[in-house]
Amino acid sequence: MSDTLLGIFSWDFIGSVIRVTTPILLAAMGALVANLAGSPNIALEGTMLMSAFIGVIVSGFTQNLWLALFAGVLSGITMSLVLAFFALKMKTDIILAAIALNIFSTGGTIFFLSTLTGDKGSSASVNSLVFPNIDLPLIKDIPVLGEILSGHHIITYVAIVLIFVMQYVLYHTPLGLRIRAVGENPDAAESVGISVNKTRLIALIISGTLTSLGGLFLSMGYVSWFARDMTAGRGFIALAAQALGGVSAFGVALGALLFGFAEALSYSLQFLKVPYEFTQSLPFIITIAVLAFYAYIRLPQNVKRRGAQSGETRNGRLFQRVWEYFSRRAGIRKGVDS
Amino acid sequence: MKLKFRIDTFQLYRTGIAIGIALLLGYIIIFFSKIPSDAASLWEGVRAGFDNANEAFKWFLLGPIVRWRGNEMLFNERGAIQWLNESVPIIITGLAVSIVFSAKQFNIGAEGQLFMGAVAATFVAVHFPAIPVLHPIVVILTAMVTGALWAVVPALMKAKLKASELVSSLMMNYVALYMGLFLIKTFIRDTKAGSLVSLPFAATAQLPFINERYRLHIGIVIAVVSAVVIWWILRRTTWGYQVRLIGDNINFAQYSGIATQSVVFQVQVASGAVAGMAGTLEMIGYYDRFLWLFSPGYGWDGIIIATLARNNPLFVLVAALFFSYIRVGAKIMGRNTDIAPEIVSILQAAIILLVTAEAFLSGLKQRSIEKRARKVEEALTGREVK
Repeated sequence: MSDTLLGIFSWDFIGSVIRVTTPILLAAMGALVANLAGSPNIALEGTMLMSAFIGVIVSGFTQNLWLALFAGVLSGITMSLVLAFFALKMKTDIILAAIALNIFSTGGTIFFLSTLTGDKGSSASVNSLVFPNIDLPLIKDIPVLGEILSGHHIITYVAIVLIFVMQYVLYHTPLGLRIRAVGENPDAAESVGISVNKTRLIALIISGTLTSLGGLFLSMGYVSWFARDMTAGRGFIALAAQALGGVSAFGVALGALLFGFAEALSYSLQFLKVPYEFTQSLPFIITIAVLAFYAYIRLPQNVKRRGAQSGETRNGRLFQRVWEYFSRRAGIRKGVDS
Repeated sequence: MKLKFRIDTFQLYRTGIAIGIALLLGYIIIFFSKIPSDAASLWEGVRAGFDNANEAFKWFLLGPIVRWRGNEMLFNERGAIQWLNESVPIIITGLAVSIVFSAKQFNIGAEGQLFMGAVAATFVAVHFPAIPVLHPIVVILTAMVTGALWAVVPALMKAKLKASELVSSLMMNYVALYMGLFLIKTFIRDTKAGSLVSLPFAATAQLPFINERYRLHIGIVIAVVSAVVIWWILRRTTWGYQVRLIGDNINFAQYSGIATQSVVFQVQVASGAVAGMAGTLEMIGYYDRFLWLFSPGYGWDGIIIATLARNNPLFVLVAALFFSYIRVGAKIMGRNTDIAPEIVSILQAAIILLVTAEAFLSGLKQRSIEKRARKVEEALTGREVK
């Protein structure tokens, strides 16, 4: 028993957590950007699936990884452009448009897969490539740390770097400010000369790019083929991870990590005869509880008015808000608020 | 009144044009995918492409109701029955979603509600004492109650905490999927069967058949009756009026003394109850045991159908029948040609995108309104208006 437990929390396990977290993390950051801009992207699932498919097909037919990367990302951006065109220009409800895109991807990938390869289940007959794993020089020689940090998939490293990039872009650049302003109050943003549609378009394109990397990881890293419905709800899980993580890229990364952890755990725990359904549904239950909690502390009677409700106080500093809630509860007075 | 009618006919035209464009798109895709790569000349290839696409579209558009014996066209009873049977679950989810949409609320939890409903119904269908007539009624009621209970969590969060129902109802879908499969696997699995299925239902739990040979069950009747009842509730009762008023303007509804919070809550729960029976009807009608390993996707279909039907329960019938028609048509096409029937999702996506696009053909609408307004003004003033 203790052997099995040890086996579960081994370096292998950590590696597996990182592996299953990567696609969720990328898509969750895609969800974050789109959400902050006030144009929620429910088409993450379809975008991932489409990129996973295009990546495999292009790499199979051209035997060129760069082309596959380019085509995969381009397909993600295209999905976002279609979503943006219909939602922003044609005034389709963005949720409905995204649902349509998801349906398109689910069926479309199968249709084109069967047209191109004659197989409806998977791309096993296509000799597609994978993106490489990377051994970090120097670090890989450090005994324990090297084993954890080195030898992961290149997209995993890209994803980790992107957490910091996204946090910087969203909170320390004019573009990030515009995105958040448009999401917070489109009319106000418009009145100071920010084009709402243009900003949302940019946000959706960023969202599509990030998500397509997640899709490429699935079919060209996690496994080396495309299979029908291979995203298996990860796009929706990413939405949950974003809802859980709040509005900072770091929070979202933590949210994604929780889902990745639960998924990896559910694989390991099967050996212990713990039904994987419990471990797999746990993050969803936690998300519901956390959402309820966020909503509860945001209720008017629980919000101490602190002047005008700027974007920062209403949405931004989530952890600060949680902290304030508890300190108020505990009777701790802090700062200068009335 | 007259003007409103005009706008509705405009919607009808627009839906028709959207469907036309989608079909054309499908034809073009099939045409290009069926040009043989070893064609002798371009002309030959193009002709083969057209021939193949025409053949495929013959099956696709006529397959569900027509079968051929030689050159003779016969009524395809089996296809028509499949068409009716497949429309049952999506009519029901379409109705469920149109209830919440009428109040401008969102519900993407129908998927989980129908899954959990079907799981609970399975237990009753297997273990409830085998009393004819009563048994299926109890099974369906169980499914409805379970679906309603499953909708309570997001509904409560919405009503009491003002938390968006979008994410919470989505989360409930996954909880339903995993919990449902766990319950089936642990308590009611048929260990003799090769795959994960439940024990067979008691014979008394099955819905009666209208046509035994191709298993046409009375689910379609239940669906049609539900549509009429829900139409009546939404259009002819005070509660339904309150729901629609909330949908039009929730603030106005609040100020006119409607307890909007509790009506919003009731709407979500009512929708859950309706959604709960969607999968169950199929299970105790067409099948005889629980055999889903994944979410069947009817909840998403419901959203599309409710949107196409503009939340009118009677139009839901039409939209769902249309959708299941093209699906069955695609399957029949897939059986008779080597074109994957999944192409139908591309058509569905195109239809929903175009129908929901407010700006699609809105210039046409604008012009027709202007023309009418000019006519009315001319009639009133007797002068020519430019």
